[in-house]
Amino acid sequence: MEVRTEMNFPQSRIRNFCIIAHIDHGKSTLADRLLQITNTIEARNMQEQTLDTMDIERERGITIKSVAVRIQYTAKDGHEYRLHLIDTPGHVDFAYEVSRAMAACEGALLLVDAAQGVQAQTLANAYKAIDQDLEIVPVINKVDLPNADIEGTQLQIEEVIGLNSEHAVLASAKSGLGTIDVLEAVVHRMPPPHGLVDAPLRALIFDAKYDSYRGVVVYLRVVDGHLRVGQKIKMMVMNVKYEVTEVGCFTPSMVPCKTLNTGEVGYMICNIKTLKDTKVGDTVTDVNHPAMLPLPGYKEVKPVVFCGMYPAANSDYNDLRDALEKLQLNDASFEFIADSSDALGLGFRLGFLGLLHLEIIQERLEREHNLTLVTTMPNVAYRITYTDGREEIIQKASQMPPRSELASCEEPYIEADIMVPNEYLSAVIDLCKKKRGIHVRVDYVDNTRCMAVYQMPLAEIVIDFYDKLKTYTRGYGSLEYRLIGYRPGDLVKLDILLNGDAVDALSTIVHRNNAETVGRALAAKLKSLIPRQQFEVAIQAAIGNKVVVRETVKALRKNVTAKCYGGDITRKRKLLEKQKAGKKRMKQVGSVEVPQEAFMAMLRVNAETE
Amino acid sequence: MFGIYVHIPYCRTLCPYCDFVKERTGASAPAPFVDALLKEIDAFEGPDEAGSIFFGGGTPSLLEAGDLSRILDALARRFRMAGPEITTECNPDDITPDLVRAFQDCGVNRISLGVQSLDDRVLRYLGRRHDAASALRACDQVAAVFDTWNLDLIFGAPPIDAWPETLRGVRALDPPHVAAYGLTYEAGTPFERKKSEAVDDDTALRLYQDVEAALAEYAHYEISNFAKPGHEAKHNLVYWHNEGYAGFGTGAYSFVDGIRARNHVKTEDYLRAPGAKCESLALTVEEIKVETLIQHFRLREGLPRAGYAARFGVSLEADFGPVLAALQARGWLESTETNVRPTAEGFYLNNEIGLALVDA
Ligand SMILES: Nc1nc2c(ncn2[C@@H]2O[C@H](COP(=O)(O)OP(=O)(O)O)[C@@H](O)[C@H]2O)c(=O)[nH]1
Ligand code: SF4
Repeated sequence: MEVRTEMNFPQSRIRNFCIIAHIDHGKSTLADRLLQITNTIEARNMQEQTLDTMDIERERGITIKSVAVRIQYTAKDGHEYRLHLIDTPGHVDFAYEVSRAMAACEGALLLVDAAQGVQAQTLANAYKAIDQDLEIVPVINKVDLPNADIEGTQLQIEEVIGLNSEHAVLASAKSGLGTIDVLEAVVHRMPPPHGLVDAPLRALIFDAKYDSYRGVVVYLRVVDGHLRVGQKIKMMVMNVKYEVTEVGCFTPSMVPCKTLNTGEVGYMICNIKTLKDTKVGDTVTDVNHPAMLPLPGYKEVKPVVFCGMYPAANSDYNDLRDALEKLQLNDASFEFIADSSDALGLGFRLGFLGLLHLEIIQERLEREHNLTLVTTMPNVAYRITYTDGREEIIQKASQMPPRSELASCEEPYIEADIMVPNEYLSAVIDLCKKKRGIHVRVDYVDNTRCMAVYQMPLAEIVIDFYDKLKTYTRGYGSLEYRLIGYRPGDLVKLDILLNGDAVDALSTIVHRNNAETVGRALAAKLKSLIPRQQFEVAIQAAIGNKVVVRETVKALRKNVTAKCYGGDITRKRKLLEKQKAGKKRMKQVGSVEVPQEAFMAMLRVNAETE
Repeated sequence: MFGIYVHIPYCRTLCPYCDFVKERTGASAPAPFVDALLKEIDAFEGPDEAGSIFFGGGTPSLLEAGDLSRILDALARRFRMAGPEITTECNPDDITPDLVRAFQDCGVNRISLGVQSLDDRVLRYLGRRHDAASALRACDQVAAVFDTWNLDLIFGAPPIDAWPETLRGVRALDPPHVAAYGLTYEAGTPFERKKSEAVDDDTALRLYQDVEAALAEYAHYEISNFAKPGHEAKHNLVYWHNEGYAGFGTGAYSFVDGIRARNHVKTEDYLRAPGAKCESLALTVEEIKVETLIQHFRLREGLPRAGYAARFGVSLEADFGPVLAALQARGWLESTETNVRPTAEGFYLNNEIGLALVDA
């Protein structure tokens, strides 16, 4: 038997793995089982409490930040193994974080719901795992369900993903059936880490969290060499140096140790003040014995969706800035810069990894920081070429130059994989056409399902594509997408004028062919959202300088309660107070009071024009 | 002035637009209810002096004359009253010369008649029991006996082209007092699902202005109320002046010592414990001030500055100066030597005045 101390656990008995699955296929349930059966359970309770702080994450059933738990497991061969289960974020907005978490693993459990079969996310994640050379162990879950189709699922794994599923583990995460088989498969089918013990330190940062007491906690995987307390280290991409004050692992609570050895997964604390100073994908090395090359795969993640956020009350501007700064300590992947709008006053322009990311941040600002916000319509960034040859990326419609100065305007495109049952294919094709999709191909996955691959402007996806897809396919459609670069488009700026003045916060960039339809729908929607006021309000939609539609909100001429006797008096005062609170949430644009929803009216227009 | 309100929660049939507290009855208001009223009146704690009594409903004309006089006797025992205004709401179909005289004999000196319209189609739409002919007859019988009485109207019910004719008919009847209310489609009533049939604001305003024009010789002294000189409803002025009142009967509100409270809204609960409250709210001085302004600005004469200062011990200017100035600038209020009062537009947009006055 090998001799070991806590400091020197044999590398051959370390396994680093993740679980990849389509949403609701049972990833969290299986993770719970693995922790329970290995008696990591009491600790698991603690972890649930720590996760409680992220309300939104729990409510939405998604994992925003990955977690890495150490599991001690004595296998049937009598040896003790040290497993690190690395959780990966579940949403397409966080694709890069997923890829780095996978890069910290040697193996992946590919979890497939036996009743649902392979889904778009299963496939997309499986491909990512294959790209990373992970050893993939298929696990067919929910075999307890009466409609579980084990053979069919096996066949799909073979035919759709191209993985050998003969030895797929059968499990019911719900009942606990197969949990030991899963652990045995991790131990015996996944390789140990193959890093070099004596090489200079290289550790991969796959996540980081901000802790208000300890500063930034860096999640990393030691690839080569060792990471010790007291060591002088350098982040190779960021090119900054620190001294390590603590290393440790998650059990799942943080347990410090002296060293993280080759192949191990854990955390590091070294006086990093803000998350911005830590880049997921960066390589940590030793200042005195630096590695020659950083680990491959680092990428700068850039926001793709932008919107303006303004305090409903101008006086809350400083509070909003403080809140954004605080939030950025926890999430460095959104950006913000001070911005101003003629209509909305002082505020910020924010960039996000996707629409869900935007919603999460918005909700946290409102909920945790008690702010009332006016959020403008989300949009993508456009690449503008001026007639003088200058290029610029613009993040809001109001920056679009006049036609005379515009040589070309390009917009970001994505390639989408949309998996649906065959009978919904034509509906999906319709939807993609409406969204300016370019057909790439349709793969028939099996007898019942196919995968439509479309290239589409990101702008069409960010708004409501996913919701639409769900409606068009009665919930059966699933979506994965990746950015494929900028492409030219015949894009125009659609302006909205209130009483003759263009409202910058209501401008959008749309495709010329849709411009008029969208303009009409938007003006009509705004008419229904803007309440009657003391003066008539003219709403116009204009493309370039050409007004394409005019709607009128007539002046308020009557607002009176006919009866006001005994009991009505207090009831009426309360009603007025409620209405007043509603009014306070409105923005004064020129002389016009505009409700918050109006700035997001485009979202609803899109929902209604189809 | 302190007012007394008595709620009689019974109707022969239920009008589908109505959201008052009431239930159906085949006969007169039942004796146990009257007994409960007497008990509640005897036990009332509050002011001992009152200037008005108002029987509302429901349908007070369902009271037996004997019961009515027992109630009035109880009130006379409990309150000191010098020549109070005593109003009873009546439905036209209950009116007979006998009933009118019997009510007068009990001491009632004002009748408020629920005419609503003088067009049979409109009355049918509203689900009223009477038709135009019986309404006219009832008005005549009331006018023959009472010096002062009110005619209730509802505008905005289809067909709206019947409105000018109804107004002509009202002018011919020449009632001393008219109350005209816009039809509302209240939640919880059968009319709720007819909401789409409601006239738009512009039409409602036009119909309202028709009333103003037809009753030009009357004083338009409150948003919905028109009176010939000396015929203003004293009891309702209690509400518009935001003064105190006692409410007896199912669901009745009272406002005593800054507390606005409501009796149980189900008659069975009321009968079990007459006068027990289901709602009670102690208002802050600030809230009372705001309500006082809101209520006074329903009145043409508005709010006397001196009255405000006397009541609250602080000048109106000190409490509300800036907001009143802003409302004047908007053209909704105007200032006289003694009062701040609403303009014509301030009537039409009265809730906007209220909105400016309340705190969110
Ligand atoms: N019947 C059955 N239900 C399961 C099983 N595993 C998970 N579930 C249920 O499937 C749903 C989704 O599971 P969850 O672990 O939250 O999925 P995740 O989104 O992949 O993390 C939950 O309601 C689980 O209780 C299983 O083996 N059998
Ligand atoms: S409107 Fe009058 S009569 Fe009709 S149900 Fe209501 S209270 Fe009774």
